[in-house]
Amino acid sequence: MNRSQMTTSISRRGALKGFAATTALAGLPLRAFAQEATIRWWSPQGAPAQVDAYKIQIANFEAANPGVKVVFETTSDEGYAPQLAAAFSSGEVPDIVTHLPSFAVQSYYAAGLVAPFNDVIEMIGPDDFYEGANDVFKAADGNYVGTGIGNSAANMLWLRTDLMEAAGVGKAPETWDELRAACQAMQKDGIYGAPLPYGANSMTTLIFAGVIHQAGGQVFDTDLNVALDSQETRDALEFYGSMRELCPPGATNYSWGEAITAFVSGATATGIYTGRVLGNVAEQNPSIADHVTCVKYPTKSADIPAWTFNDFPSVFIPAQSQNIDIAKKFAASLFNPDGYIQQLHAAPGHVLPVLKSINENPAYQANEIIQKYPAEVDLMSSAAAGGYNLGYESSEHPSNDKAGEVVGSGLIAEMVQRVILNGENVDQVIGETAKGIEAIMKG
Amino acid sequence: MAQQKQTLLERRYSMLGLMLIAPTVLVFCAVIVYPLISAIYLSLFQIYTPTLAGNWVGLDNYTELLATGEFWTSLRTNLIWTVGTLTLQIVFGVGMALVLHQNIWFRSLARSLILFPYFISTVVAVLVWKWLFNDLYGILNHLMMGAGLIDFPIDYLGTMPNALISVILVGAWKYFPFVVIAVLARLQSIPEQLYEAARIDGAGPIARFFDVTLPQLREVLVVIVMLRAIWDFKEFDLIFLLTGGGPVTSTQTLPLLVYKEAFALNQMGMASAYAVIMMLLMLVFMILYIRRTKSEGS
Amino acid sequence: MKLRAIAFNLFAWGIVLMVAFPLFWMLVTSVKPQSELFRRPPTMLPEAWTFEHYARLLFDTNFLRYFWNSVILSTATTFVVVIIATLGAYSLVRYRYRGRETLAFLVLFTYLLPSVVLILPLYLMLVKLGLSNTITSLVIAYTTFALPYALWLLRSFMAGIPEDLESAALVDGASRMGAFRDIILPQLLPGIISTALFTFILSWNEYLYALVLVNSDSARPLTTGVMNMLISSFNIEWSLLMAASVMMSVPLIIVFAFLQSYLTRGFGAGGVKG
Repeated sequence: MNRSQMTTSISRRGALKGFAATTALAGLPLRAFAQEATIRWWSPQGAPAQVDAYKIQIANFEAANPGVKVVFETTSDEGYAPQLAAAFSSGEVPDIVTHLPSFAVQSYYAAGLVAPFNDVIEMIGPDDFYEGANDVFKAADGNYVGTGIGNSAANMLWLRTDLMEAAGVGKAPETWDELRAACQAMQKDGIYGAPLPYGANSMTTLIFAGVIHQAGGQVFDTDLNVALDSQETRDALEFYGSMRELCPPGATNYSWGEAITAFVSGATATGIYTGRVLGNVAEQNPSIADHVTCVKYPTKSADIPAWTFNDFPSVFIPAQSQNIDIAKKFAASLFNPDGYIQQLHAAPGHVLPVLKSINENPAYQANEIIQKYPAEVDLMSSAAAGGYNLGYESSEHPSNDKAGEVVGSGLIAEMVQRVILNGENVDQVIGETAKGIEAIMKG
Repeated sequence: MAQQKQTLLERRYSMLGLMLIAPTVLVFCAVIVYPLISAIYLSLFQIYTPTLAGNWVGLDNYTELLATGEFWTSLRTNLIWTVGTLTLQIVFGVGMALVLHQNIWFRSLARSLILFPYFISTVVAVLVWKWLFNDLYGILNHLMMGAGLIDFPIDYLGTMPNALISVILVGAWKYFPFVVIAVLARLQSIPEQLYEAARIDGAGPIARFFDVTLPQLREVLVVIVMLRAIWDFKEFDLIFLLTGGGPVTSTQTLPLLVYKEAFALNQMGMASAYAVIMMLLMLVFMILYIRRTKSEGS
Repeated sequence: MKLRAIAFNLFAWGIVLMVAFPLFWMLVTSVKPQSELFRRPPTMLPEAWTFEHYARLLFDTNFLRYFWNSVILSTATTFVVVIIATLGAYSLVRYRYRGRETLAFLVLFTYLLPSVVLILPLYLMLVKLGLSNTITSLVIAYTTFALPYALWLLRSFMAGIPEDLESAALVDGASRMGAFRDIILPQLLPGIISTALFTFILSWNEYLYALVLVNSDSARPLTTGVMNMLISSFNIEWSLLMAASVMMSVPLIIVFAFLQSYLTRGFGAGGVKG
């Protein structure tokens, strides 16, 4: 399903919106009032500031729905897989889960573990979403498996304007050659060029999948056959390998945490991360706050469009929940402006709104960081809205419900390490990696 | 008559004995035998982890895993890790115990500090070490560069063989205090007369160690080596959190492979098969080890 | 001679300080302000001291809740394990019945299966018992890995208590359990304390079971609570993490400082037997 078809189906839905909304409103409050219920809400994003925002959203919902209690429970970010596996297999599931990447939700939905989310999107108002924002959540059967609770532009190229000036780099790099030249020019006095990840972890897999696209290639073709064995993959590996000497020595074990810290602390001249950089700079290294900016990550040549990696932090409702109707109502309430904005402000620039009305809302704009970097936040918002990930490589691709397993297998990170760090034969490594991914796709 | 009375008494005693052991047996049955049987059962299926639904594949999981290179490389890594870290733990642990047995300044403070790595959670230990190892802000690199030992920051966790060495060292740091505790306790119970006798025979400190101390420590070391070998072989948290098995799969031991199959690839059946094989391997080693030490001891 | 003693002391303390260096670094990092955290080169001692990280943990987060859960959990586990293990060890050492030696061997056998695989079946069982998401479920789970070791330890210790004391009491007309209470228990006390300490440490620090078996803040212990709160794959809150680590380790260090002599005495008094 491509994007234009998608839009028509959404607007057709829009025609039914009035009807759906009335039934939803007529049906739900009654049930909500009729029963005492406890809603368990799981999320791996449990930083103290974020939890404070969740508490306000919960209080609002509980006030509007007497008898309903919402319990927020943090899950581990690295370890959510065993936790959810235990929950699903025992039937003791949470009623709502947020902030998992879209491909995890697709994988659970394909196994029949997730309830369709269509009516919640109706309740929120499908027209308010950025165009195509829900494409990534469309399952093979046409239902939506969830929706985004936020967007993230995870592979923005962060730049230090002061270092660029000092090194005589006139403009932000747009191609790989320019990027490499800029990093070479700025790598001096103990400052490295870039903090690209070369570790045996999911960040390397996710970022490098983007680099393949920045070379014009893809991991899967539009029929979800493995399309890794291509010249583009070889180009991507060559570029990525050439950047190794411009990265700190420990980049061989870098993941998100190390990558952001390297740039924020001033150890690298460029960075690769979401907008969380802005908040961290303000907190940890205010002296560079006036010299940071971001652009989309460069591509191999100017004619290849940028490919922004968005892990599409999601909201979804497990099918085994005992309180699906209330959970749906609660899910919709998460997008009410006051609470939602507070949630976004807990990590300004990191989680970007999925609703147009929120982005335009003065209350959302009234944040120090968003006001200080309007151009950057705007750029990230638009880049993220048009972003992709391994479960959804382009708008031409159907969603790939095995993407979670492909990321989990670490095969792509392994390929990067074998070629770049171990210097193994490229053709052989790519061939073996492709075969490994094919085996996962067959299940 | 008297004979019969005694057996009656004995029988009553053994009844009491069985009653006393009953809770233990019960706990083992409930929480270990049951999961154990289900692990063996699961290993005969192909299973999607989140639903635990699957289809029967018989021994296919086993034939497949024995045929893949990943099993054998992980086993090799696992053995290197176990032998490496265990050796360091024993050598350093015994050495430290000997030192702490002496009358040094502030001995109990020194003992507390030495035992501290064993007390802290593995998760905490790993994070602290990652912070020490950090290539940019890590104090270790800066101290070593300051001392002129190295010119550039060392990449402790991302290249080979550094990664495996670092993991082994952190493992040794974390667990050697266990050896210290056990050996120290045993040292305190070695009768002083034995040393006196050795001294009279003209044995120097080194000879006294080999002739008196080591034989006395033998029994406790046999047990420690076995316990620690089992625990180290199974170690998951430490390696998983330090390197995640990387670079490539150079530090991927069998427990990490089990985790990957179970929760990243959602193949619970395959994961169980790996676990069962691991268990059999350890069982064989354990039986051989016990036989060997028993026959040497007697 | 005196010079040699001083040299030896310096050497010993040099090693001790090297081993304890991560503890020192943990402390230092936890009192550095955020802006000093990523200084290159790192400052050995903080230029500015701050306790805001501690204050934030104590007053703005669930830290105390997790701490309390950990205390209850570890204490309960310790009690359960020590009671079962003491009775079991007594039975294994002093009574003769068939399968005794095999049982002692089987105890070790239970250690052989990696916990990653035990978790899901165990979890399903706890759910069936209606215990999921409770501290009780963790007490049961921790018993599985603490009991074998406790039993092993106490058995070796029990074997070191001379049998004639007990026989004498029996001859004097004491019942078997009476003799156990009056003769064995007092002798066993150091062993029990040391076993209790080991069990406590194990349950205080356990991570994987706690991660999977408990997911509500009302029952979550420190290890998983702190990790979930401060580490996501997008960010690591280093200063808070180090402050939390210090507060997690301090109770153990204090407990140990008081009971240190028991820990080492208990282990060896009887001579550990294989």
